[in-house]
Amino acid sequence: MKQVFALLTICAPLLLKAQGFQVNLQGQKQQGMAGTGTAMVQDGASLFFNPGAVSFLKQNSISVGVTPVISHANYSDASSSTVSETNSPVSFPFTTYMVFGKKDSKLKYGLAAYTPFGSTIDWQDGWTGRFALTHLQLATVYIQPTVSYKINDQLGVGAGFVYGIGNVNLQRDMPLVDEDGKYGHATLDGNAHGFGFNAGIYYQPTSNFSIGLNYRSDVKMKLEDGDATFEVPTSMASAFPSGKFSTSLPLPKTVSLGFAYNANKKLTLAFDATMVGWKSFDTLAFDYAQNTPYLADTKSPREYKNTFSYRLGAQYVISEKLAARGGIKYLMTPVQDGYVTPEVPDASHFNYSFGLGYKMNTRLSIDASFTIQQMKRTDTNIETQMSGTYRTNIYMPGISLNYNF
Amino acid sequence: MKNISSKIAAVAFLSILIFACKPHVDVPAPSKGSLDLTRFVTIGNSMGAGYADNALYYKAQEVSFPMLIAQQLRKVGGSNFVQPYVSPGSVGIGVNQNARYSLQPSADCSGAISLAPVAIANEGDFNVFTTSIASQGPFNNMSVPGAKATTTLYPGYGNPANGPGNFNPFFTRMASDPTSASILSEAASQNPSFFCLSIGNDDVYSYALSGGAMDVITPSAGSPGFGFDASIDVIAGTLLSNGAKGVIANIPDISALPYFNTIPYNGLVLDAANAAALSAAYAPLGITFQAGPNGFIIEDGNAPGGMRQIQAGEMVLLSTPQDSLKCGGWGSMKPIPNQYVLTAAEITLANNAIVSYNAKLKAVADANGLAFADVNSFMNTVKTGIIYNGVGINASFVAGGAFSLDGVHLTPLGNALLANTFLKAINSKYGASIPMIDATQYKGVAFPNP
Repeated sequence: MKQVFALLTICAPLLLKAQGFQVNLQGQKQQGMAGTGTAMVQDGASLFFNPGAVSFLKQNSISVGVTPVISHANYSDASSSTVSETNSPVSFPFTTYMVFGKKDSKLKYGLAAYTPFGSTIDWQDGWTGRFALTHLQLATVYIQPTVSYKINDQLGVGAGFVYGIGNVNLQRDMPLVDEDGKYGHATLDGNAHGFGFNAGIYYQPTSNFSIGLNYRSDVKMKLEDGDATFEVPTSMASAFPSGKFSTSLPLPKTVSLGFAYNANKKLTLAFDATMVGWKSFDTLAFDYAQNTPYLADTKSPREYKNTFSYRLGAQYVISEKLAARGGIKYLMTPVQDGYVTPEVPDASHFNYSFGLGYKMNTRLSIDASFTIQQMKRTDTNIETQMSGTYRTNIYMPGISLNYNF
Repeated sequence: MKNISSKIAAVAFLSILIFACKPHVDVPAPSKGSLDLTRFVTIGNSMGAGYADNALYYKAQEVSFPMLIAQQLRKVGGSNFVQPYVSPGSVGIGVNQNARYSLQPSADCSGAISLAPVAIANEGDFNVFTTSIASQGPFNNMSVPGAKATTTLYPGYGNPANGPGNFNPFFTRMASDPTSASILSEAASQNPSFFCLSIGNDDVYSYALSGGAMDVITPSAGSPGFGFDASIDVIAGTLLSNGAKGVIANIPDISALPYFNTIPYNGLVLDAANAAALSAAYAPLGITFQAGPNGFIIEDGNAPGGMRQIQAGEMVLLSTPQDSLKCGGWGSMKPIPNQYVLTAAEITLANNAIVSYNAKLKAVADANGLAFADVNSFMNTVKTGIIYNGVGINASFVAGGAFSLDGVHLTPLGNALLANTFLKAINSKYGASIPMIDATQYKGVAFPNP
């Protein structure tokens, strides 16, 4: 009965309103607290949240985690009232954090690999927006070697070098039909890479209050020698030659300011404010190696704007072994009216998280979190003239294992 | 055991997450407003008959715009919509007794191979004309290829005894009694509760499509069966006599159709030597040519020598044999015959008629409180180009996606967009919320896989 109630709660139309294709799924402890962590020293996830805090970690550790992202989206076409659904793909953003250094050393080293951005969406066959998009899979991984230095008991600084790798697969139907009614189909697939850095300052003026500032630079992902494949009626094959293409995707910079307060021995409260520099994503351009009168290079306006998110999280230590966490986050969408696409049917929204941490022994601990996100966005896209309402429900159950040594 | 059941519980929990918690959908409930849609009847011509690719054939009939409207009406309780179908396997038949066209790679006179409209058989399917399907009627879609506002009134419009050219075989096949029935009487006998009237195109198009060489434009004035206005009054009066509601369409400008604007008037592209040679040959007529694009030479009985150079704004029709232009010396060594050209004077006559017809059609709609589908405005929008759910659509021949291979009639995609024009007019006039058609489900010109 209780489970049923829990499900009803989850499925209820909360009428909430993500944030571009940023994946806000990093450490499980932090995620259980709605993604706060810039001003906290919890575990190796500080490599992501604030490299300055890493030098405050008392133990060496290695942790691995994964958060399946289960998303359901639909689109109601305003004029025809037809409803199209996604095939509910599940993606698996993962995290790996490794922190090591001599005990009592002011210098700590770390290596992190995580998924900062990504999106997987797969619309049902024949859907009304198929000439805009049928399938998008964008996966990126940042690999980040990091150094953190504890200047004194109150102040730490750290920085990491970011090497980003990514893969994108974008597909759409083409309005070129043969006599059997089979439409053309375009597939763009390629690998991208780029560089950046992640730096932070951690300041702990008293034992129960701390401040963190983190700057993660933008990473301009360059995709060269991608494969563009056009399946079209054979009489039009020379007009749409399959071949190479290139593009670039600017993954934005992020600036976070965080505060953490230990209200008492059991309760910790955290607040983070984050600015994401999405303004860099103004155009999605594809440059085809071989152009024809029919196949020109394309430039699609995206016109993203810089956005903010606000996160409030709490952790309550129930016992030496068990901690409970919860949090709420508000994320503003970078996607302006007129630019909502079926790639990222984004809207400003709240999301809700809760989590549990369990220490099995002094070395091994396990953390889990669950995050719910619901979005609704009604828009008329300027480029495609698609007018309708996107609704998205996303469920993100995550788990991680942490080993201290 | 406990372990297994907790695993099952975990799997069940995840399955529910994956399958159950889909986002809610809220689409507005469709409504027919103040309409009675139990008997929906359409009167029209080839545009409404599902005539495309220069023939009446099954696949095109399936997506005639009245049929597409009827499919949407059915979502709000509309009746079944019966059409006079040609058999599904038929090659169809056109006004020139030709089979339907399809796009095929074909060699021109110079041996160059390109995609061009080609009839899929040597001749059309005459069984269409010789086999009566009246027993399948009555037909809700009383759109008959070639019907005019005037001929819609003719009793015996399908009577072969009238002799060739004096009856319409497209009507013969569907008329309950070809010797006495008119299109209007067949429609009226169904006592329509809601009608779509889309007539009048052929009152001017049959003149314009033939370069002004055949047929005459129906005058606005004149008695029913002779003049346009009085004929429309009779048709509308008959349809309205039992209190039916309806939608009336107007007539698109000829300039919106690829048939009239695909071949450029100055398509005679010459090098300097050829320009000089032609200038010398035409010196007696005072016609000169330059290197580059030049206006074609056309037949004109009023010009000295019976020919002249075409002027900007005049039209070379899509019916002009391409090989004659490319290799036969048409438009350069010899004039393009009259039936393939609309001169400025002919265009003015056609345009004036359309303006006058459209004023009449609008007045009838307004006077009777009927919905008015501004098809002329729709076609001009297509001419400019529209974007529909990521698909660019315009009036370019073949590539534009809206017009079929005859350059006059629409593709399934074009018909879907046209039907939406009617549905919008109906919704706004009658307080209905009939859903629009998702036009992405309908195709443009099909390309071959040779």
